[in-house]
Amino acid sequence: MALGALEQGLIYSLLAVGVFVSLRILDIPDLTVDGSFITGSAVSVMITQLAPEGGASALIPALSLPAALAAGALAGICTGLIHTKLKVQPLLAGIITMTGLFSINLLVLNEKPTVSINGRPGIFSVLYDLFSVNPTTRKIVAAALLLVIVALVAALLTVFLKTQLGLAIRATGDNEDMVRASSIDSDNMKIIGLAIANGIVALSGAVLAQHQNFADAKAGTGMVVVGIASIIIGETLFGKRSVFNSLLSAIGGALAYRIFIAVVLQLGLKASYFKLLSAVIIIISILIPIASKSIAERRAKEAKNNADD
Amino acid sequence: MLTIKNARITFNAGTVNERKALDKINLSFARGSFTTVIGSNGAGKSTLLNAISGAYALDSGHIFLDGEEITEKPEHFRARIIGRLFQDPLKGTAPNMTIEENLALAYGRGTRRGLSIGIRKADGVFFKEALSRLGLGLEDRLKSKVGLLSGGQRQALTLLMATIVPPKLLLLDEHTAALDPQTAAQVMRITGEFVRENNITTIMVTHNIDDALHTGDSTIVLSNGRLVLTLEGVERESMTVERLMKVYSAAANDSFGDSMLL
Ligand SMILES: Nc1ncnc2c1ncn2[C@@H]1O[C@H](COP(=O)(O)OP(=O)(O)OP(=O)(O)O)[C@@H](O)[C@H]1O
Ligand SMILES: [Mg+2]
Repeated sequence: MALGALEQGLIYSLLAVGVFVSLRILDIPDLTVDGSFITGSAVSVMITQLAPEGGASALIPALSLPAALAAGALAGICTGLIHTKLKVQPLLAGIITMTGLFSINLLVLNEKPTVSINGRPGIFSVLYDLFSVNPTTRKIVAAALLLVIVALVAALLTVFLKTQLGLAIRATGDNEDMVRASSIDSDNMKIIGLAIANGIVALSGAVLAQHQNFADAKAGTGMVVVGIASIIIGETLFGKRSVFNSLLSAIGGALAYRIFIAVVLQLGLKASYFKLLSAVIIIISILIPIASKSIAERRAKEAKNNADD
Repeated sequence: MLTIKNARITFNAGTVNERKALDKINLSFARGSFTTVIGSNGAGKSTLLNAISGAYALDSGHIFLDGEEITEKPEHFRARIIGRLFQDPLKGTAPNMTIEENLALAYGRGTRRGLSIGIRKADGVFFKEALSRLGLGLEDRLKSKVGLLSGGQRQALTLLMATIVPPKLLLLDEHTAALDPQTAAQVMRITGEFVRENNITTIMVTHNIDDALHTGDSTIVLSNGRLVLTLEGVERESMTVERLMKVYSAAANDSFGDSMLL
């Protein structure tokens, strides 16, 4: 069970990283995510199906990942254009793209609600074949591959955030006036940022599809909330001293969230309650810092009163 | 250097709240000139600077900067050669980023932001040296978040950011108004030094009439979105605060029949 939760956690930590880019770096609550996550799954599965039947090369499924990332980035660019050029509130801009994506995702999946990779080699199955069929080994192999992907994404993003462009995007979420006064087009920064955010989200969807061997057109609902929950849990558990600290916290938060879900599942909670659980977890994670602050304040007050007596 | 022709901006046009913030403004600023702007609250001073920087679009009229018409150009385009300090000291810096990150952003003024490293080693050394000239000890806090600085420190940093790549035009909107007198005097002194060293064309809004008359080389007075007075040369030198108040209220009375205090 623990290993399964680890795999899930790693897959969804990519989602958390994507949401982190829009929510925490750009300061935009981007609802495109519910659509672009599935776009990633759909693109990855459809490309994987192009491989010859009975083949064993990982090339095509591996290429499906950057393709999914690009498709997600396009979705992000759409939201960015609607928001910056048409001056639509970011929340609404995200909803518009997300709604459109529902149809587009179905189109990509040939109008079927679920599509499997049809026995074609996927990035995980190719590796399983290389090693052994032992289920525990499989899980370790899968977790190792996921770890490599997550580490790669986190490292690239960290380096990117330290480039000139990365700095400009971070500043756009912090003080847009200052960014424009520094001769930077803040609209472009938001568009690029949303492209990166949704690209990573779509990558998360693609990796999930590879892991479970199918894409589900309806599985996107609530993905934003899952991403935000991971970020907030991460910040509560692991801190948010700097962007880079927060980025790692988001990954840790996604892992903690999945482990928690696995535990609750073991205790017998039905899967249909997960979304409610996610919402409740967010509320609780928001409440913890507020509560601990007010307790600390009350303590300080009491201490002061005692000292005055 | 900068020419403004028949500039008009009306807020909430056609409603009871209609407000002519700029009313047929014609102005010309020579290269290297230092102009101070005074006028009562709501006279249109900030609006004038916002129109020049591109934060507000003109309803009608034209703006030429450095020989090029920029009336339709976006704010970030104009910012390649315009440096700016805001009335609000929090507005010019990114609070959750470090001092050196803020400086690095400003240091890239006028260039394309690409994938090269944001802060090179040499930049760090240069930033340290530039900060030490402010005399606020910020050179030892390159990695501190700007949000931790005081208003005066942030405004001094903004001044450095606005001038680290010398702009052709510097817009100062009451940039010392929110600071304590001592810090205000210091920021004003540093401003003067930067402007003189780099021979930057400067427009400075202030409520301090004494500052207005004794800084730079000409003074303009705005009232209700109109240019009511231009003071230059001997007339300006012989002007006292009391006389300016009189001249000003007379001018304001002339055009509007109401008297407003500076
Ligand atoms: N964005 C805006 N929307 C509506 N009205 C505005 C806006 N900006 C300025 N105004 C109005 O335009 C007029 C001029 O404002 P402006 O900020 O230029 O005054 P100011 O001379 O800078 O005053 P102060 O000395 O108080 O800073 C005011 O009546 C103001 O209410
Ligand atoms: Mg003003």
